Amino acid sequence: MISQIGSIAISLAGGLIFSSFIFLCLYKLRNDKTYLDISERSILSTCYCIFLAFFCLLNELLISNFNLQYVAQYTSYETPTFYKVTALWAGQAGSLLFWSFITSLFTVIYIFETLKKMENLKFNSYLILTFIFSFFIILSSFIANPFEPVSSDIVVQNGNGLNPLLQNFFMAIHPPILYVGFTGCTIIFVMAMAASISKNVSFDWVRSIRRWSLIVWTFLSAGIILGGYWAYNELGWGGYWAWDPVENSSLMPWLTLTAFIHSSMIQEKRGMLKKWNILLATSTYLLVVLGTFITRSGVISSVHSFTAENLGPLFFTFLSVLILYTVFWFLRRKTYLETDDKIDSFTSREGGFLYNNLILILMCFTIMWGTLFPILSEAWDGEKIYVGQSYFNQLNVPIGLVLLFLMGIGPLLSWKSTSYKVLRKNFLIPMSTSFFVGLIYFIFSVKYNFYVLVALMGVSFTLTSILGEYYKSLKKFRKRNSNIIIATYKMFMSNRHQNGGYLVHIGIVLLFIGFIGRAFESEKEFSLSPGEQIYFNNYIFKLNSIKSEARDNHYAFMSDIDVIDDKNKLLTNLKPEKRIYFYWNSDPEKRQPHSELDIYSTIQKDVYSIFSAYDAEKNLGYFKIMINPLVNWVWIGGILMVVGSLFAFWPNRIEKIMEWFNQIFIFFLLFIVIAYVFWPLINKIK
Amino acid sequence: MNKVSTSIFLIFIVIVGWIVYLTNIKQDDSLTMKYYSVQELINKKSDISNIKLGGNIKPNSIEISEDDQLEAFFYVYQNQDSVKVYYYGIRPDLFTDDAEVVVSGSYSNNLITAKELQTKCASRYEGDLKNVEKI
Repeated sequence: MISQIGSIAISLAGGLIFSSFIFLCLYKLRNDKTYLDISERSILSTCYCIFLAFFCLLNELLISNFNLQYVAQYTSYETPTFYKVTALWAGQAGSLLFWSFITSLFTVIYIFETLKKMENLKFNSYLILTFIFSFFIILSSFIANPFEPVSSDIVVQNGNGLNPLLQNFFMAIHPPILYVGFTGCTIIFVMAMAASISKNVSFDWVRSIRRWSLIVWTFLSAGIILGGYWAYNELGWGGYWAWDPVENSSLMPWLTLTAFIHSSMIQEKRGMLKKWNILLATSTYLLVVLGTFITRSGVISSVHSFTAENLGPLFFTFLSVLILYTVFWFLRRKTYLETDDKIDSFTSREGGFLYNNLILILMCFTIMWGTLFPILSEAWDGEKIYVGQSYFNQLNVPIGLVLLFLMGIGPLLSWKSTSYKVLRKNFLIPMSTSFFVGLIYFIFSVKYNFYVLVALMGVSFTLTSILGEYYKSLKKFRKRNSNIIIATYKMFMSNRHQNGGYLVHIGIVLLFIGFIGRAFESEKEFSLSPGEQIYFNNYIFKLNSIKSEARDNHYAFMSDIDVIDDKNKLLTNLKPEKRIYFYWNSDPEKRQPHSELDIYSTIQKDVYSIFSAYDAEKNLGYFKIMINPLVNWVWIGGILMVVGSLFAFWPNRIEKIMEWFNQIFIFFLLFIVIAYVFWPLINKIK
Repeated sequence: MNKVSTSIFLIFIVIVGWIVYLTNIKQDDSLTMKYYSVQELINKKSDISNIKLGGNIKPNSIEISEDDQLEAFFYVYQNQDSVKVYYYGIRPDLFTDDAEVVVSGSYSNNLITAKELQTKCASRYEGDLKNVEKI
């Protein structure tokens, strides 16, 4: 019953979005605002139908209705409730509906919050939203319908269950957070296109789109960092970033959005770079769609790819239409987007932002080129080329280092132009600190590495520069408040936009400290029998035992390793496991081996242990140990980035916060009403 | 040219140079690797420093050293052709006879010395339903 309601809700959404298009056409023909209002209501109703369909699917997952193909494929009776919820985005059909769900959520906020103040963007916004919604509703209705029943000649006794790799808290929250970021780019695209088409690229528009960008950027950043954290703690290859095509697909829009956030500041301050900003805002969404095409088409092999239905051609068509539409309107509005004001000097804050934009776009292009190169090369001359991590690392490391220095240079420059005297005064301390740190490293390093030298200099330069800026502001506030805590608080609250931005920059500097650690990583693979030990990297690894036991959904081989340091003191005890999921299956192909790793983590380094294989005949365990320095700085930096960004865009006044809470409250209320209505039905089915 | 124009010109040169460099990455062995089929490889007379090869493990060809369990030799085959591979390290879980593998490393004297060994994972979670009963 509920599944039928869900299915009907999707079809209804399709009908409503079509009617929205009809009313938009009527509005254009008759210029009667009533039609625009009806269209708005149609779009809102579409969103509500998608909400309903989403909650219906959630319900079916929770009650394990295995009559639905999707539910049977991604959950089982044994799947814990939390992971039944996360199964919503585990497969193609569910994730597409989830995508539409978040887009709907953003659309409702956009209509009530943004368009209320910018009436003249309504028509074009609705037109573009109608197109985007139509595409996703067509996918959910005809290609990947999550309410598709199983074949009528079978009865599913139990579902397949969720992939054990996905049964991890961070994996559960990483995709939805990233999806929020991705779908948020839809609104940025819609706003940018609507403003340029309707010639309303105003000051209010810049302020509004910047706020949207910051929100979306926060989610994108959090999603990317969480993905890395999951990979590091669950996948067992000892790293957090592998330059996989899908990882790259999330990084590319992040880079263009970062560029946009910076360059839109110039537009806000001086009304410049309109064209460039429209390009950045629109290309961010186009890159999201490109990424989705990569993930769901199978044209590039990736660990993240969905394999069930090939949505490649459809996404390619969707992407092509969006590109053509963007290019068409960009060319038509080129003259309108021209600005008279020009950059006076490149040693100015605007110049710094422009360099930053250039570097970010160069990085984005390099990543895109490396990701698409295998397809391009094969199409060009039939040669199959593999672009590995070395390409991305070798080319992006120098670009990243320039970016690191630029983050420190930016705050030292003045708007319009910076005089030589100010330059010398501002650069003196950061430059001296940077050279001093470089010299210390050069003299005392055991394992010299050029990139590490430059990165250390960059880190110290940028940190000194940002902390110097904080210090200067604090000095001003100390004149009025003798209490340092009050002065610091007031200083931070005085210009949250800028101070939040600096916090984000410090977060990125900490990320770089984590990246530096990669240069000093070491690893060893070995086999041990219980009682044996091995010496590696100043530690003794002693295998005490290997035990085994059958658990609820897997069979586990559990190792017990003592790690003893060079002073012969027990540092820690590691217990990596080798697990076999679906071990009861007679077909070995259906069994899923998995290494559950164990990490001894400190702020200086991680001792990362993987139990790779077990030879029962010889009672021999195969292990991999990695010593990963400074990894925790990546997570600390990531958290600071998100916190800084939240600090920057959080509403200023308490009334504004209350307004936001009201919006969220309405959604919760909607959720409770739906849950209340459906509860007897859920119980009945149970 | 004033300073601003010079800067723009320099930026333009950097971008063009970078694009030209990127179009030639295929020539750079340290950045990219060419995929070979087994047949393509055995027809090559010369040594290759950086290759990637896909195929299946020839049944009964896996030899694991008695002295060091991490040392293994095996053959990768495609149709009638096969090539010998040496690999030192922990082998993936799905490394068995006839498993589909991708090896990367160097090729010399009809032997691939693999630095990396990956098995292609069968699609386990998007496939057929497991616990079903026919009506």
